[in-house]
Amino acid sequence: MTSWPNFRHAVPALAVLAAVVAARAEDTFYAQRVAPILEQKCVTCHGEKKQKGKLRLDSFAQLMRGGEGGGVVQAGEAKDSALFVRVTLHPEDEDFMPADSKPPLTPDEVKVLELWIAAGASETAPLSSIQGAPALAAPKAPMVALAPDWRPRAAQIAQLEKALGLRLVARSHLPTDGLVLRTAGAPGRCDDAALAQLAPVADLIVEAELARTKITDAGLVSLATFSNLRALDLTRTAVTSGGLGNLAPLGKLESLNLTSTGVDDAGVARLKDLPALRKTWVFDTRAAAVAEDPAASAK
Amino acid sequence: MKPGGLKSAPPQTMNPLSTDHHLCSDHGGEHPTVWDLPHVPHGLKREWLGLETRRHFLGQGVKALGWAGLATLLGRSAPNLLANAPIPGAPAMLPHFAPKAKRAIYLFMAGSPSQFETWDHKPALADLFDKDLPESVRGGQTLTGMTASQTRFPIAPSIYKFARHGKAGRFVSELFPYTARVSDELCVIKSLHTDAINHEPAILQLTTGNMFPGKPSIGSWLSYGLGAMNEELPTFVVMTSKMPHRTNVQALSNRLWSSGFLSPEHAAVALRSGSDPVLYLNNPKGVASDVRRAMIDGVNDLNRQLFERVGDPEINARISQYEMAFRMQTSVPELADFSNEPQSTWDLYGPRAKEPGTFAYNCLMARRLAERGVRFTQIFLRSWDQHSRLPTNIKLMAEDSDQPTYALVTDLKRRGLLDDTVVIWGGEFGRTVYSQGTLTPENYGRDHHPRCFSMWMAGGGVKPGLSYGETDDFSYNIVKDPMHIRDLHATILHLFGLDHSKLSFKFQGLDQKLTGVLPSKVIHDLLA
Repeated sequence: MTSWPNFRHAVPALAVLAAVVAARAEDTFYAQRVAPILEQKCVTCHGEKKQKGKLRLDSFAQLMRGGEGGGVVQAGEAKDSALFVRVTLHPEDEDFMPADSKPPLTPDEVKVLELWIAAGASETAPLSSIQGAPALAAPKAPMVALAPDWRPRAAQIAQLEKALGLRLVARSHLPTDGLVLRTAGAPGRCDDAALAQLAPVADLIVEAELARTKITDAGLVSLATFSNLRALDLTRTAVTSGGLGNLAPLGKLESLNLTSTGVDDAGVARLKDLPALRKTWVFDTRAAAVAEDPAASAK
Repeated sequence: MKPGGLKSAPPQTMNPLSTDHHLCSDHGGEHPTVWDLPHVPHGLKREWLGLETRRHFLGQGVKALGWAGLATLLGRSAPNLLANAPIPGAPAMLPHFAPKAKRAIYLFMAGSPSQFETWDHKPALADLFDKDLPESVRGGQTLTGMTASQTRFPIAPSIYKFARHGKAGRFVSELFPYTARVSDELCVIKSLHTDAINHEPAILQLTTGNMFPGKPSIGSWLSYGLGAMNEELPTFVVMTSKMPHRTNVQALSNRLWSSGFLSPEHAAVALRSGSDPVLYLNNPKGVASDVRRAMIDGVNDLNRQLFERVGDPEINARISQYEMAFRMQTSVPELADFSNEPQSTWDLYGPRAKEPGTFAYNCLMARRLAERGVRFTQIFLRSWDQHSRLPTNIKLMAEDSDQPTYALVTDLKRRGLLDDTVVIWGGEFGRTVYSQGTLTPENYGRDHHPRCFSMWMAGGGVKPGLSYGETDDFSYNIVKDPMHIRDLHATILHLFGLDHSKLSFKFQGLDQKLTGVLPSKVIHDLLA
């Protein structure tokens, strides 16, 4: 097992970070767990467009303001909070929410509301401060954009696809989920020169499927400019240990597949400073097997 | 079609299609059609004909683009799709949300392995050998004709032992010494249930979501919803496997992997188990590749003319199938050439992987297909239907499939493919706790049982090491977390980034879905 030296430095760095970003909205229990439930189940009637009962639940401030019947959250007392009480009535009760046979909250969602109110109904309490909350359905992908919106460059993307014989596929309907560089249909057409020509859209590509292509170490220089790259598959390419150093600027790279390449332990060692790298595969190479998840093996 | 059905109608209102006996169309002469409606101007009827199908409408749009490359017929690539005008009737071709799985390999254990000897360990039954199953458990359930006449329903404990394996400490049957090694990768579901008690409808329900034939298969829905990752190979591939023994073998038919009402190009290509995976793929002697290309271009041109005249989407499907066949002339020989596999492959899958058509060979082929971007590969292994001599026959089946199954999961994992490939293992229903036929300490059989059965999934965003759902002490009824086949389908689509309630196709006046109209849900507990 190769040790993962960057993790030796991770703890102090994280401590500093934690102090700085404690109030970042995306790390709070409210933003991560409570707001998504309200957004999904409540704001159709209690939001910007409709305010039934003069109540809005589309922001923390609005939630705390309450509706025509007064406040809906009594911090620390779920059983005295209308937000909790109204969703836990008998479904036949005329006060039951969501009304009009709209999809009710799941038991897990109710539990999240209960725990949050019991813990003080804070906007800023970090996610980790409230223990025991059930995992939410459809864990929300972090709402951070993985890449810039590709749509303004759609014409350019289409032109590059045509010229280079490869594909640039949106990962989902969300235009900031980035593009996949896909070469499975014609791996032989994708070479170092083709990669270089992708420069105008390099920042849009979050996944590069380059298995069995003609990429060499020289191509990795172009790849280094794929600033939002998360996953890179170099299976069965001519890449060697010498080239891997070129990947150093890929600060977001999380997974790297080097199966059946010319890499060895020296090359793998060059990867140790990639801060986000969690998974590396080196099957059928001269490198010793690396832990797939260094975080797990460090324990 | 009943050609010439309108021959007595006045010429000015005649359906132009009905005069051509060689056309295949839904409206080739049956009564009544739009053409029989009074007071509708002839021009309007012609317009209706022109817009007869949404695909024809789509085809007209594509024609305007000059038929630039058939591979882009349906705008396979998303940015292209958006760059041009949105095409009415075209499927999403994009996941609704970012997917975890890019591909699936479905190991279909046709005939249905007993859950008692495989994944639903019931140690307490050992003390109940040959006791009668309490009537309260069976609850008056209708039995199949095969056991309805039995006077007793004696409990048959598993003859095979179980032991804990892996970090998760899961009980795995001694029938699966290899699969036990990857126990921690598996998510075993013990609480599946289905509606059908006989094979054909049950297999159809698993493969197409409906026990009546004519619905698209899971792989067809994925092809329709997401398009191809590799245009050189089919998006959906099916393989059947040689059987280690043959008892109660059910026939497999292509309705299990048909595209139903979706365009035929979404149907699976079935790879044969002989030396030629696809028949007639090689050019005849003396026919060079460019000659073949010219021939296909000529045929396609004729088909296109016919399509412009008729608008039948089947014609477009035919064109794309010619194109696919041509591309497969190059891609399939390379795919089926195992000579570049390293020794480690044969060590892993075992020597039988060299014999075309074995389950081991098919598992290795599935890995090669996954490497090349094929979205959905379904391997059928039949003869799990052990109504009698279960202890002997289930062992033959396990011995044939255990190592290749383990090998596939292991191989995908070491090559970095398991993260985005979901492997699914299971039959079409469960089997009864009571013996069918005579029960002895060494021998028994089990009848069909739709109320509960076990499957497993691995990789592709499924939670590894999990056991989901529970059955009662007799594995007869589900006591915790029931999961209907529809939920399984909804969950599989979810792994691919697809919302099962949104992936639909308008047919017979309904928004048809894999999960149908009955309640179905994604089982979020299974997701990693």
